Amino acid sequence: MGAAYWSPRARFRQWWRNRVPLTDTWVLGQSNVYILPTRAGFTFAGTMLVMLLASINYQLNLGFALTFLLMGAGLVSMHLTHGNLRGLSLHLKALQPGFAGDPVLLDVVLSNAGRERHGLALRFEDRKLFGGADAWCDAPAGGQGQAHLSFVPAHRGWHAAPVLVLETHFPFGLFRAWTVWRPASRALAWPRPEQPAPPLPKSGAAPGDERARAHACGSELDGVRPWRRGDSMRQVAWKKVARSGEMVSRDTAGTASRSLWLDWAEAAGGDVEQRLSRLAAWVLLAHREGLDCGLRLPGVELPPQHGESHRRASLDALAQVQS
Amino acid sequence: MNWRARLAERLSHTPRETRDTLFQLAVIAWTVGPHLLHLPTWCSLMTVALLVWRARLALTGAALPSRLLISAVLVAAAALTLWGERTLLGKEAGITLLVVLMALKTLELRARRDALVVFFLGFFLVLTHFLYSQSLATGLWLLGAVWGLLTALVLAHMPVGRPPLWRAGRVAARAAVLGLPVMVLLFLLFPRMGPLWGLPQDAQGRTGLSGSLRLGGVASIAEDDSIALRLRFFGPLPAPEQMYFRGPVLSSFDGREWTRLVPRFPVAQRARLDLEVSGSPLRYEMTVEPSQLPLLPLLEMTPDRAGAAPHIDGWLLTHRSDGQWQTDRPVLERVRVEVSAWLQHRHGPKQEVLGLRDLVDLPPNANPRTLQWAAELRARPDLAGADASALSAAVLQHIRSGGYFYTLEPGTYGQAGGQSAGGDAIDEFWMDRKLGFCEHFASAYVVVMRALDVPARIVTGYQGTDPLPQDGYYIVRQRNAHAWAEIWQAGQGWIRVDPTAAVAPDRVMMSGRSLRPAPGLVAGTMNAIDPALAARLRGAWETVNNRWNQWVLNYSRGQQFDLLKNLGFESPSWQDLASTLILILCAGALAGAAWAWWDRRRLDPWQRLQQRVQDQLARLGVAVAPHHGPRERARRLRQALGSAAEPAARQLDELDAARYGGAAARWQGHARWWHDFRTAARALPAAPET
Repeated sequence: MGAAYWSPRARFRQWWRNRVPLTDTWVLGQSNVYILPTRAGFTFAGTMLVMLLASINYQLNLGFALTFLLMGAGLVSMHLTHGNLRGLSLHLKALQPGFAGDPVLLDVVLSNAGRERHGLALRFEDRKLFGGADAWCDAPAGGQGQAHLSFVPAHRGWHAAPVLVLETHFPFGLFRAWTVWRPASRALAWPRPEQPAPPLPKSGAAPGDERARAHACGSELDGVRPWRRGDSMRQVAWKKVARSGEMVSRDTAGTASRSLWLDWAEAAGGDVEQRLSRLAAWVLLAHREGLDCGLRLPGVELPPQHGESHRRASLDALAQVQS
Repeated sequence: MNWRARLAERLSHTPRETRDTLFQLAVIAWTVGPHLLHLPTWCSLMTVALLVWRARLALTGAALPSRLLISAVLVAAAALTLWGERTLLGKEAGITLLVVLMALKTLELRARRDALVVFFLGFFLVLTHFLYSQSLATGLWLLGAVWGLLTALVLAHMPVGRPPLWRAGRVAARAAVLGLPVMVLLFLLFPRMGPLWGLPQDAQGRTGLSGSLRLGGVASIAEDDSIALRLRFFGPLPAPEQMYFRGPVLSSFDGREWTRLVPRFPVAQRARLDLEVSGSPLRYEMTVEPSQLPLLPLLEMTPDRAGAAPHIDGWLLTHRSDGQWQTDRPVLERVRVEVSAWLQHRHGPKQEVLGLRDLVDLPPNANPRTLQWAAELRARPDLAGADASALSAAVLQHIRSGGYFYTLEPGTYGQAGGQSAGGDAIDEFWMDRKLGFCEHFASAYVVVMRALDVPARIVTGYQGTDPLPQDGYYIVRQRNAHAWAEIWQAGQGWIRVDPTAAVAPDRVMMSGRSLRPAPGLVAGTMNAIDPALAARLRGAWETVNNRWNQWVLNYSRGQQFDLLKNLGFESPSWQDLASTLILILCAGALAGAAWAWWDRRRLDPWQRLQQRVQDQLARLGVAVAPHHGPRERARRLRQALGSAAEPAARQLDELDAARYGGAAARWQGHARWWHDFRTAARALPAAPET
C-alpha cells in the first residue's frame, strides 16, 4: 500500500473498517446502514429549487403542488431506500479452498423477512484491489436472494474474505444506502502447482515398486473392502457392487509397497514457494495415479494415504507452511 | 391476428431494454403532448419525428446516431427558435427549446442511468404546462405524467431481471402517496410571496387592463378566458349593465395612445372627486387575481368611508381624485377585499373649474376630418346651445345609425398614413372603416366630444360577469375588460357614457356572452339529447371546477393567514407560517427517525425467537450460533447438561418439528412455546464451566 496507506483518507477507511465486527451473519439495522444523497439527489434538489422559484415568480399554485408532491416523494424515497436494506440479514456460505490465482467464490445469501427488495448491489469495499463489478440481486418478500462475487487470492495461505459493501439506490436513485460488512470467514489458497507437472520423485518410492504394482493388479479380486467416504468412483469395484449390492472398493491401499513419500527435502531447488509448487504438483499427480503418498514437511508429517480427504489435507498442509 | 394482438405479442417478447425505452418514450410523449398544441409547427413536427425515430431504433435494435448529428439538430432547433421568437430567453422560446432538448436527449439514452437527466427535464416540463392552464383536467393529465416519470425512474433502479411495469408503477405510487402529507403540509404552510424579481413581459395578461390604451396596436383581442376577479354578493345582484369595475382613468391623448393625465394646473384648480352616494349600499367580496397593476378594480363607486372602503393588512389604499382605488404596490398575489358599493352616485365638480380644460385637449393637426365632422355637428341648428348631454346623445345617435359595426377583429388602424403621429387613426375609424370594439368607440367618442368642447375622458376596467355564478361566485374574466367614457356636464359632474353599448348593446347587457364561440360537438349533442341532463352535468362540472379554483388555485396568503387564525394565532405573519411549517417538519422528521429506530427492533418473529433461545441457552452456559437450528441446539443442550435438560431439549425438538415439519408450515405459536420453554429452562442449573 505504501505511502497511500498513510493518507488521511486511507487511515480513515482503515479505522472505519476496523470498527466493523467480523461476522459471517450480518443483520442490517439502524446502526450499520448508512445513507447519503447521490449526485442525482443533489440534481433533483436543484431541480426542485428551480421549480419552486418558477412557481413563486409566476404565482402558480399548481406549480407549488407539483413541486411539493415531488419533494414529498423524494423525502419518502429516503426512508424507502434505507428500508430497502434495513432488516435484511446477510450470510456468507463457507468458502471453498482453491489454488492461488484461481477465483474464490463468495456465495452470499440475503434473507429477507419483510416486503420484497429490489436493486441490491453487492460489491467489494476495495474496488481497486478486488475488482469493481457489482453483483445485482433482488430479495423476494419473505424469501432469500443470492449474490455471487469472486476474488482471486494472489498467493497461498489464509486469506480473509474481503470487506463487502451492500448498497442500494432503489427506488429513485436520489439516495444511496449502504452497509460495510467484514465476513469472518477465511479462504485457504493452496500453492499453485508447478506447470508443467514435474515427474514424481523416484527415491521416495518404496523398493520393488514395479513388482508391487503388478501384484496389486493381480490381487484385484481379494483386495476389496467396504466403501469408505473419500474413495473415488474409480476405486469402486462396480462388478462386485452389481453382484452383491454392497458398495465395495478396491483395496489398493493394502499394498503398502505402493506408497510414496513426498519430501520437502526432495523438492530442492528454488525458493520456498517454488518448492511448495512442485510438491503441490506431485500431490496432484500422485492422487491422479492412485498412489498412496505421504508428505514430509518441516514440522509436519502426513502418513501415506489416498483419497480425496487426504489430497485436501496434503494441500492444506502445503498452503500453511511457514515461509 | 389483428395488429393490436400482434403488438401486444411483440411487446411481451421484447427485450427488457427495448421495453423500457418504449415506455420512457411513451411517458415523454404524454408529458410533451399538450405543448404541441401551441408550439411552432416545426417544433411539434421535429419532436414527433425524433420520438418516432427513437422508437424505431429501439424496436430494430439499431445503433444510436452520432453525437455530431444530435448537435447539428440542436443547433438547427436553436436557430429556428431564434428566427421565430427573435430571442432564446422568453417563455415561449424557452419551452420550445426545452421540448426539443427532451426529444433529442432520448437519442442519447444508452444506459438506464442516463435517463435521470430526462426525468428531471420532464418534471420541469410538467411545470411549464401550468403557465398555460391550471385547470382540473390539466392537473389530472400531468399527474399521470408525473406518475409515468416516477415509474420510469423506479424502473431504472430495478436492474435485475425483467420486472413488470405495474410493479415499478406501484412503487412510484406508494412513494407519492406516502409523501402526500408532506405535500399537503408544504402547500398549506409554505409562505406565499410575490415574484422575487421582475417578470418578463409575456407573463402579464394579454388582454385586460394595462394602465394605458393604444390604438391600432392590437389587431385582435385574444379571447382570454383567464379569471380577473371573483365576486360574491351579500345581497341582491346588480343588473349586468350596472356592473362597471373602475380601473385606470385615461385623459391624455397623443394621437395614438391614451395615458393618465399629467395635470397642467395647480392642485387648487384641479377637478376634485366630490363623490356623493345615495340609496342603499351593495356589500360584496372581491378576490383579485394578480394583475401586476397597482390598483383594485372596484365596482363603481365605493367612497373612502370606514366600513365601506377596502382594507388589506399592511397595504396603503387610496381613492384617487379620478375615482380609481389605488394600491401602494402592484398586485402580484391574489388579494381579497370586502367592500360596499353604491350604484347610485354622483361625482366630479358641479361647477366649471380650470382643471377641466386639460380634458378638452387634443393633439394638434391630428384627425382633421373628425374635427371637421364635429364642427359640422356643432353648427347644426337643432343643437345650437345644446349642453353636453344633448351633444352626447347626438353623437351616440350617429354611432347607432352611421353604419358602425362591433367586431373583435377590426384590423389595424393608423397604418394608412396621415400627417400626425397617430396616423390619423381616429379619422380612419370614424369616417372610413367604422369597424371596432370598445377601445375604438370610446376613443373616437371622447375625441369627438372634446372637439365639441365637452370635457371627456376614457375609463378602463371590467364590465359584466359570467351570467351564472359558480358555487356562489360570479367570475369576471380578462375578456370582460372594457373601455367606456365619461363626459362632464355642468351642474351634474361626470356622466358615464358607454358608446359601445350604442352599437352593441349585447356587449353590455349580456356581458360578452354573445361573443362566446359556439358550443363544441359533445356539448351540442348533449344539449340535443337531454337539455336538463346537460345543464345538470355542466352545473356539476362547474361546481367541481369552482371548488378546484377556490381551494387549490386561489389558495394564497389570505387563506394561509385564515388557517393560522383558526390554529390560534392572533395576528399571523409570514414568519408564523414559516415557523409553524418548520416546527411540523421537524416533528415529522423526529417521528420518522423514531419509527426507523422502532423498526430496527422489529425482527422476523422466527429470528427473534431464535435470538431469545440463544440468549437463554447462553445463560445456562450452552454456546450456540445464530444459524444453529433447534435440533442442533437440543443436541448441544443434552450434551452439556445431560438428562436434566431433557424437558427443555424436548421442547426444542418440538420447535424443530413445528418449524421444519411439513404439517405446520405456518406455525404461529411462538409466544406459547416460548413460555413453556423458558419455564423448562429456568428449572435447570447452569452448565459446569469446562
